[in-house]
Amino acid sequence: MKSMKRFFLTLLVVLLLSSCGGLTGSEQTSGELTHIRLPMGYIPNVQYAPFYAGVEEGFFAEEGLEIEFDYSYETDGVALVGANELQFSLVSGEQVPIARAEGLPIVYVMAWYGQYPIAVVAKSEQNINSPADLAGKSIALPGLFGANYVGLRALMGYAGLEEKDVILESVGFNQVEVLAADTSEVIVGYVANEPVQLTAQGYDVDLLLVSDYLELVSNGLITNQTTLVEDPELVRRMVSATLKSIQFAVENPDQAYQHCFKYIEGLEDADQEVQMEVMESSLALYQTDPYGYSNPQAWENMQEVLLEMGLMKEHINLSEAYTNDFIQ
Amino acid sequence: MKPWAARLKRIGFLIISTLGGLLLWQLFTTYSKIPSFIFPKPAEVWARLITVINDGSLLYHTWVTLQEVILGLALGLTAAILTGYLLAKSRLVERVLSPYIVASQSIPIVAIAPLLVIWLGPGILSKILTSALIVFFPVLVNTIVGLRSVPSELYDLMRSLQASPWQRIVKLEIPAALPVFLGGLRIGATLAVIGAVVGEFVGADKGLGFLVNVGRGLYDTALVFVAVFTLVLLALGLYGTVVFLENHLLAWQKRNGD
Repeated sequence: MKSMKRFFLTLLVVLLLSSCGGLTGSEQTSGELTHIRLPMGYIPNVQYAPFYAGVEEGFFAEEGLEIEFDYSYETDGVALVGANELQFSLVSGEQVPIARAEGLPIVYVMAWYGQYPIAVVAKSEQNINSPADLAGKSIALPGLFGANYVGLRALMGYAGLEEKDVILESVGFNQVEVLAADTSEVIVGYVANEPVQLTAQGYDVDLLLVSDYLELVSNGLITNQTTLVEDPELVRRMVSATLKSIQFAVENPDQAYQHCFKYIEGLEDADQEVQMEVMESSLALYQTDPYGYSNPQAWENMQEVLLEMGLMKEHINLSEAYTNDFIQ
Repeated sequence: MKPWAARLKRIGFLIISTLGGLLLWQLFTTYSKIPSFIFPKPAEVWARLITVINDGSLLYHTWVTLQEVILGLALGLTAAILTGYLLAKSRLVERVLSPYIVASQSIPIVAIAPLLVIWLGPGILSKILTSALIVFFPVLVNTIVGLRSVPSELYDLMRSLQASPWQRIVKLEIPAALPVFLGGLRIGATLAVIGAVVGEFVGADKGLGFLVNVGRGLYDTALVFVAVFTLVLLALGLYGTVVFLENHLLAWQKRNGD
């Protein structure tokens, strides 16, 4: 009886310890590598080629890091980093001021995309040549949240349009399908994704890039204040490995693409030309000068757009929201 | 114990259990120091509830979801009753349709919902259909079981009385199948809420599912809680309505049983 009791107690302690360990996103592994669980904010995709290449080429291991890719929702990644359950996440730029306004102590430490990656896309017969042409159009987007919504509202704001001037349709991530089926006249999507897919399917489309009208903070790597204070070296290693990975992918796109096969199930059955083009369009977005740099003006613009949209109620101290200190 | 005293006791237990739950929640969130954006305190959820009641947004989104649920339930019920009747009456129809019906149940509704948005557009129709699809199967099964449980001697009796087909349905089959059918409706009513919300999660600009998405997008977890609790109340309300209908419609059965 006593030994049974001891057995269950030991089991309980082991379970508790292992569950505590499972909660932390960063831990030392036997090979002295620091394990990083990294939420990517989207499904496995060739746009993450630099990360896949970075792992395979050993850039992260050189910095003592072991990356585990996590494809859960972007907002979950932000919340977990905010709660210091994880140390890093890849997120869209607008998430940082929104989350900080709600008290999440996250800090943007490296730009992943140099330009805001959102575009408005329409079939050429719609004659969408400037943001003002959006007036009266039915515009499909995943929902009234996230980068697509913010990018669209920024473009509309540029032309002095309000939500009542257009017909917004929340269609989930089905923009390509609804434009192809003419269910909506205009869609909002990622520059490197939806327009490429539509062109590959033979549609003649026009694009309005948000970044041509307003510079906004783009997707990037975030950490939290605790990690910044307690382990700035970890942040430096993570940023350094990521920048090396971007550099490698830009200089060796074919090799970077080959590394994607290991991480993206079904890639071998997809249209290779389209996928390569998606990756190359993404690579064009990574090339900031210098790599990883985020422009202070883009942060000011983003904050104003979010305040205008009502997604933030008051100004925040932007100097606490981001830093370029780790990209040197 | 007198009936009113028993009822008072039940209400007392309900209040104590609710307050106890709230107290545990408050203690847990206070002493665990979990941030509000992960797990808000009851007081924060309450404050958010008051805000969305005052600005009218909770009522608006609840009304949208309720419309989807009621229309989805109506569509799902109609389809399930008609198909169920056919299947219960004809072994041939059952043999032909059963494989499709059973196979359709293995398709997760979350996988179908995005396709419905593409086919039917982002409006209310795709949500109604998602809700109807999820309601269909449990009601269908219970309709079949209910109809097949009618004792054959009662059919003989109807025949001997020269009842018309319509009389047979109204006087025999509906009353006899009703208890089992209403059991299916209980499940269907709560599932209808889930169906509508799944549809709203995929793509919507109104409804309680949309409100959950807004809350998540703004890290306003208190708003997510408010929307979720409202959904629970909606499902409980529908469940209660079916139970009320059951008590009302099956009163004759209880009287006969006494």
